Amino acid sequence: MQLPPFDELKYKFFDVNWDAPMNTISGLTNWGKDANHVYWITTVLCFLVFFAVAIPLIYTLIRFKDKPGDESPPAQFHGSTTLEIMWTVIPVVLLIFIAVPTWRVLFKYAHAEPNALEIEVIGHQWWWEFRYPQNGKVISAGELHVPENTPLHFKLWSNDVIHSFWVPKFGGKVDVMPTSFHKETGAPSAFNTLNISSPALVDPNKKGGERYQGQCVELCGASHALMRFNAVVHSKAEFEAWTQTVNTPPKVETRLAAEGEEVFARCQACHTIAGTPSEQIPGDKIGPNLSNFGSRKYMAGGIRLNTPENLAIWLRDPASLKPGALMPNLGLTEKEIAAVSSYLRLSTVKTY
Amino acid sequence: MAKYLPKTGIISWLTTVDHKRIGILYALAALFFLVVGGVDAILMRTQLIVPNNTFITGEIFNGLVTMHGTTMIFLVVMPLSAAFFNFLVPLMIGAPDVAFPRLNALSYWVFLFGALLLNTSYLVQQIPAMGWFAYANLTEKQFNPTHSVDFWVLGIQVVGLASLIAAINFFVTILNMRCKGMTLLKMPLFIWATLVTQVLLILALPVITIALVMISFDRNYGTGFFNPGLGGQVIMWQHLFWIFGHPEVYILILPAMGIVSEILATSARKPLFGYSVMVYSTCAIGFLGFAVWAHHMFTTGLGAWAQALFSAATMLIAVPTGVKIFNWISTLWGGKIRFNTASMFAISFVAMFTLGGLSGIMHSSPVIDTQHQDTYFVVAHFHYVLYGGAVMGLFGGIFYWFPKVTGRMLNEMLGKTQFWLYMVGFNLTFFPMHFLGLEGMPRRIFTYAPDMNWNFWNFCATIGAYITAVGGLLFFFNFCISLKWGKKAPADPWDGRTLEWSISSPPPEYNFAHPPEVTQLDDFWYQKYTHDGKRLPLAPERPFDPKSIHLPDQSFWPILLAAGITTIASGFVVSDHGVFISLCGLAITVGSAFGWAYEAP
Amino acid sequence: MSEQAHGHHQSTNIENRKFAMWVLIGSECFLFGTLIANYLINKGRSLSGPSPQEVYKINVTTLSTFDLLMSSVAMVLALHYCKEKSLRKFQFWTAMVVVGGLIFLGFQYHEFSTFVNVDGLGLSTNIFASSFYLLTGCHGAHVTVGVLWMSSILVTSLIKGEKWFNSEVIEVAGLYWHFVDVVWIIIFTFVYLFVYI
Repeated sequence: MQLPPFDELKYKFFDVNWDAPMNTISGLTNWGKDANHVYWITTVLCFLVFFAVAIPLIYTLIRFKDKPGDESPPAQFHGSTTLEIMWTVIPVVLLIFIAVPTWRVLFKYAHAEPNALEIEVIGHQWWWEFRYPQNGKVISAGELHVPENTPLHFKLWSNDVIHSFWVPKFGGKVDVMPTSFHKETGAPSAFNTLNISSPALVDPNKKGGERYQGQCVELCGASHALMRFNAVVHSKAEFEAWTQTVNTPPKVETRLAAEGEEVFARCQACHTIAGTPSEQIPGDKIGPNLSNFGSRKYMAGGIRLNTPENLAIWLRDPASLKPGALMPNLGLTEKEIAAVSSYLRLSTVKTY
Repeated sequence: MAKYLPKTGIISWLTTVDHKRIGILYALAALFFLVVGGVDAILMRTQLIVPNNTFITGEIFNGLVTMHGTTMIFLVVMPLSAAFFNFLVPLMIGAPDVAFPRLNALSYWVFLFGALLLNTSYLVQQIPAMGWFAYANLTEKQFNPTHSVDFWVLGIQVVGLASLIAAINFFVTILNMRCKGMTLLKMPLFIWATLVTQVLLILALPVITIALVMISFDRNYGTGFFNPGLGGQVIMWQHLFWIFGHPEVYILILPAMGIVSEILATSARKPLFGYSVMVYSTCAIGFLGFAVWAHHMFTTGLGAWAQALFSAATMLIAVPTGVKIFNWISTLWGGKIRFNTASMFAISFVAMFTLGGLSGIMHSSPVIDTQHQDTYFVVAHFHYVLYGGAVMGLFGGIFYWFPKVTGRMLNEMLGKTQFWLYMVGFNLTFFPMHFLGLEGMPRRIFTYAPDMNWNFWNFCATIGAYITAVGGLLFFFNFCISLKWGKKAPADPWDGRTLEWSISSPPPEYNFAHPPEVTQLDDFWYQKYTHDGKRLPLAPERPFDPKSIHLPDQSFWPILLAAGITTIASGFVVSDHGVFISLCGLAITVGSAFGWAYEAP
Repeated sequence: MSEQAHGHHQSTNIENRKFAMWVLIGSECFLFGTLIANYLINKGRSLSGPSPQEVYKINVTTLSTFDLLMSSVAMVLALHYCKEKSLRKFQFWTAMVVVGGLIFLGFQYHEFSTFVNVDGLGLSTNIFASSFYLLTGCHGAHVTVGVLWMSSILVTSLIKGEKWFNSEVIEVAGLYWHFVDVVWIIIFTFVYLFVYI
């Protein structure tokens, strides 16, 4: 347990940090900016109504407090039709100011833009899978990569229970629903969609992209709180390069890594690395795709930094980091853990 | 047999059919479960006091989330409201009892046994952990193989049956048992709120009943209503649940609105402002409550048209709600407001409910809702409505009617201290949750990373929860000592306006010595005062023989029947011999039903 | 199943038990409404057979529908003779209601067992089957309750004879029986007939 954050108390009392990683009202995408707009209109109106209630209430309480010793009842009056009509009509008018901008946004994003980049988002207990069907067999897990300033068309479904896909600074939360799959093609019979454009890079020269925090927001089981991910915005060129190299097979250069490659043979029933024999094993794998694992900043569903120490903790006992995780404790020796860690992390051919 | 049952002692309580005693039983059960739900909340807030805390595991946290919501809604606010219905409805409409006294006893025992069945899940450590709205398909056997979900499903099923029985009873009571002269628009507003609540229960409960049966079938008989792999749809559960669930929100808040209306009018010593408009707005809220369920589902991919229509309907509900708030303020306006614990709770209801209502208006826009759905902003919103609203209103009601129920006053000094602890604790817990929501903290997460800017406000919220807990302890202390040593209450301690204040505190078993007759709204007030405020002399007591009033006899059958029904349900939460247990329950149920039918009422 | 506080007038002039039955019927409308909606949504969503067209036997179901309608007629006559205080006729028509209900349940048993044994349509075979059994099973349970209720009325009448002409109870039971009947007409229309449209 850490100490309570007394130091924050000093300077933060009435301060909401708009730059917080998951702030909901500083959206950066086209959708996010429109939502901010509706949010502020509504908030201002709500504050007006709040004062319209609070001031008369407080005034009434002070002015009409009973005086000690005065036992006679006040005048018994029953109502006023004019007032009733007034406070029926005025709220209706105010609500129109919220409704109209809301509906405009709703219909504006109902359809995908032409030439949008299609991304399939698949929820699993408790990690995220992202597929790029327009870019061949590019698959990522735990990290959503997008090019900057590009219209996106997400198709979302779940492999088990309901999850909810949300990058607060992108906006447009949408539930990821379980579905049935077509017998021959394996395509989902139903899925949700989301149409937004990715934000621009804040620093256009940033290598490795700019990261935004995302998280599952629908209770989905024991480790619901541990189902996080990063959305990484790249320059268009960098994204293009990433799609080209992400499926490059690992370059095994050390003896340790070669041993790791052998250990990984035990993992390939559940995990795939592009360009290795694991790709030959048919069927949908239940574990995340580990191609290009070494480039990922976070691991285990975005809850830990991708370091050898964390990977070792995970491999010793996945449930210690993520209760209920489907990956069993494989009983690897420390040597095997070091080997497979070297194979997964260090043999990756990196793009950036 | 029933004629020889004792009039005092434990057996008399187990066999009672007196609406006042049943009301007291409801209140005691609700206050007990308030402690249970409160402990859940304290444990959760303790886990969230600092980031990456390891006080409890995710699995248990999810259980606490689920049980806190379920307990507070189904086992605290609903039965506490039912306690007020039971005790007050016959008194306020001038009736000797409810329409069906034995059914009334049945609904209490069914409720209590259902609640105990649900809470047995703690004892066998199979705590339901799928959230209080139990979204499919997390409730399927594949994802929840233990009996945890069964406990929840059967518990809610049984408790729901109790509510349905009570609802039919009160609906008939209110419409059929009014005293002479009490036409519909002369009923106290609390009675109107009760009536609309019963309509909502009668129409909404069957929907959840079917949905719960569907989960049971999926889990026990291999059907696939909520299993996409077998052709089912998970979204179906959400529709069915919220078609029940949104009216349920008004089932929770309308009784408190009725209570607050009574307390404010009495405390200001003035009639309720715009009485008929208050009646119409109560009906409008009830009616519109059935047309807005999908606003809980704005992120499920409804499509733009459905989102637009449901958002419009949701915004419309704000209108009758706003009308109520302004009418309450106008009720106080021009009055001579007496500040006591009851009126302070009632006034805080108006203030807190307004805040909750405003964040509700924000959510009526699917665009804003999409950003705040499933974040702490929503948690803040519904706690302002249901805690700052419903619970504060109900506490006002407890302080207001405690003298009528027990014949003793609650201690005002302790009461006011509790009020301020509640106000400070409540706002310190839940106002920061708006900020947490705006900064994107998802609800129902058992832990969070330290770098999300959520640390400070979570710390505040937990401290607020502890302060509230102190207030709660103070209430139970006050409750116990006042029951024993409290100031003796006169018949009419608050200078009340409704009929229950016209009889002694506590009321005699037969309620009214002579059936009352009313000529106007607030009739009792005008028996005490002329229209220009002059005190009238008390009417002379008329002679009366208590033996001339026939009261319904006590009966064992309600509690036996309730035990039978609960036994049927408990066959579904055991792994072995379930069918045998259920069949035994069925035998008890049918047997008791026949015993009941052939017992002279 | 019901009683009332004595010595009190009724503001609406409707007897309490009858009023309560009307309210219960209102609630039941939502119950069956949910079940029928669920059936209509799910009947075409099965991933495998058999389909409704393959299993329904409209002639048999028409017969059982006719039987249930006739039992409603018997109910009307039972109430009529109860009010006329004609004991034997009252008992005969009450027995006819019970018999009508039992015949209907027999038809339902026959239908279900044919579906399961001949057509291979078990409760969990497909989502159409699940929704169908849930809906018609729930209705069958209501008929069973009605049969039990009417039987106990018949037994009471046989034991107590002339002393027991409680037309208020018969009226309430009749309301319930007619409602269950009307629901079946709706089910027959939406479930069985609509297949052929």
